[in-house]
Amino acid sequence: MRKIYLVLLLAVSVSGMAQNKQVLYNFASVPQSLLVNPGTDVSYKYYFGVPLLSGISANIGSSSFSAYDLFANNGVDFNTKLRNAVNKATRNDKVSVNEQIELFSGGFKVGGRESKAYISFGVYQEADFFMYVPKDLALLALDGNQNYIGKSFDLSELSVKAEVLSVFHIGYHKKVSDKLVLGGRAKLYSSGLNATSTKNSGYIYTGNSSTTMYNQIISSNLELKSSGIAEYLEDDYNGSIASDIAHKTFFGGNYGLGFDVGVTYYPKKNIQITASIIDVGFIRHTKEVENLTYKGYYQYQGVNPNFTNPDKPKNVFDEFEAAIPRDTLYGKYTTWRPAKFNSSIQYSFGEARSDESCNCKPHGETEYLNGVGLQLFAMTTPRTPLAALTAFYRRSLLDNLQVKATYTIDSYSSKNIGFGLSTTLGKFNLYAMVDNILEYKDITKANSATFQFGLNFIFKENSEYN
Amino acid sequence: MKLYYNNMFFRLIIVALLFCSCASDLDFNLTKDLKLEPVFVANLTYFDIKANTFIDNGREHDVVFDVQDFDVFRDSFFRDNLKKVQFDFEINNTISRGYIVSLVFLDANNQVTYSTEIDVPAYSNTPNIVKHTDVFENQTLDSLKKSVKLEISITMSSGAPLTKDSPGSLKLRSGATVYFEIK
Repeated sequence: MRKIYLVLLLAVSVSGMAQNKQVLYNFASVPQSLLVNPGTDVSYKYYFGVPLLSGISANIGSSSFSAYDLFANNGVDFNTKLRNAVNKATRNDKVSVNEQIELFSGGFKVGGRESKAYISFGVYQEADFFMYVPKDLALLALDGNQNYIGKSFDLSELSVKAEVLSVFHIGYHKKVSDKLVLGGRAKLYSSGLNATSTKNSGYIYTGNSSTTMYNQIISSNLELKSSGIAEYLEDDYNGSIASDIAHKTFFGGNYGLGFDVGVTYYPKKNIQITASIIDVGFIRHTKEVENLTYKGYYQYQGVNPNFTNPDKPKNVFDEFEAAIPRDTLYGKYTTWRPAKFNSSIQYSFGEARSDESCNCKPHGETEYLNGVGLQLFAMTTPRTPLAALTAFYRRSLLDNLQVKATYTIDSYSSKNIGFGLSTTLGKFNLYAMVDNILEYKDITKANSATFQFGLNFIFKENSEYN
Repeated sequence: MKLYYNNMFFRLIIVALLFCSCASDLDFNLTKDLKLEPVFVANLTYFDIKANTFIDNGREHDVVFDVQDFDVFRDSFFRDNLKKVQFDFEINNTISRGYIVSLVFLDANNQVTYSTEIDVPAYSNTPNIVKHTDVFENQTLDSLKKSVKLEISITMSSGAPLTKDSPGSLKLRSGATVYFEIK
């Protein structure tokens, strides 16, 4: 039983999470797949996304509790639900939200007719929230310390990141040979809001004592770095937070640089290997920076009289504030984007028959109807890197209808089935992808849910011959 | 052409299905029912005075006294969410004299918000622990919340005189149990 528990714990802690776009990855009929691998084997004469609608994706994940656990309209008291959710959680459980909206995007082929080099570019806005469940602090808030004499409440569990940013990017990919596609993308990040509190430590302890009633210690090493937030916390702030964040997201002055690289390689015609590294980059926070720290050690012994020297009253508040001062620093700081690694291997089979209505591939290339393979995803986080493994099957149905099904093992679920499709009606391309389909019988019970959706106009390379 | 529209229809249906799912009835208004009722314990006050503290230049003096700031109620969150407070005192006297320990809470205008007196009998070679509990709710709690100072005085009862070599001490330790109700 103990072993099972350990395995479960490992499965929870070594895990995939938000931002794994396993259905979109290598889905070459959707130009947005270039955002997860700039070396995707995508070809077009030119394309542009429908502004604001070309790429919308959102992911919500909570590895321990679901919306149903907390908000089910089933007559159970909310406080009981909250308590159950906290009791169920472990310190490695996490809550994450990721949202991305493409404002605009486009791409075109460069060079002459024989060239196989492409530019793609765009701007997207992204919001990320990532938090480990601070179980100890939740218990302290729910119950207090009365029933936990002798326990240390661990402050290192406090680990949270939030960011709103916009990303301006331009990418280039080239089919170097029949076997090899290389691509890269340069990114300019503009952060509208950042809050990072990931390197905390310390504890809150209440134990028995032989002198005073209790032995009470707060040892605190807490730090919250933030940029672009201070203004909203001021008492006399009366603007609109949403529009101010939007404004700062583009013109806030906290900029960063990053890059993506990717490759697609065909060792044989029907075997394809791909890999990409995304968001290797940093943001330098220099404007509206505020770093709050609470660092120190305080042993609270009570409001104790001093009969031998009564003229020196002590003040517990002052003592505490001197021991664990709240310091505000205005130092610049750098945050690293969560880097993501993707790779895949695919075996294709079933040659497509020649079809007059779709002459999409240049002569001499074989198109396969089916592909099966594996994908691996990994991402950096404040604690251990996360990984997810995906098996997939893709197929071309009808003319110009591509579908892909995925089965992913990650921390939120060991049976995450995803499905996506891309269809082209004339020049109009529409794609939609969801995962955790099994949970759709009651979405509120899902521990994570992702969707991607978008509309593009794609002009194929050979469309002038149609 | 007909086939084309059929296909398009078929595709739109698939897309629509992708966004179809069942969902249990959720009620986000439940958060309004949020009521946290944590109970915290903390040290209140502590002293340990030797018998010879009551001797000054060879003469006995019967009263010792001190005032400390007691401004925990300065914090409005603390003030507003308190439901009940309990003070538990434990006094261990090993001096051969009796005492009256008096705790007086004062507000900003030096008006008494709460006072309590604990009688401590003289030590006669048997363990001598006095326990005392005060509970504050409603009006007594509202009054206590105005406190900014804690005055502690110890008055020695009459008895056999002490010398600077008299053994024993008067120890007090106390804790507060604080019941919150946070809505």
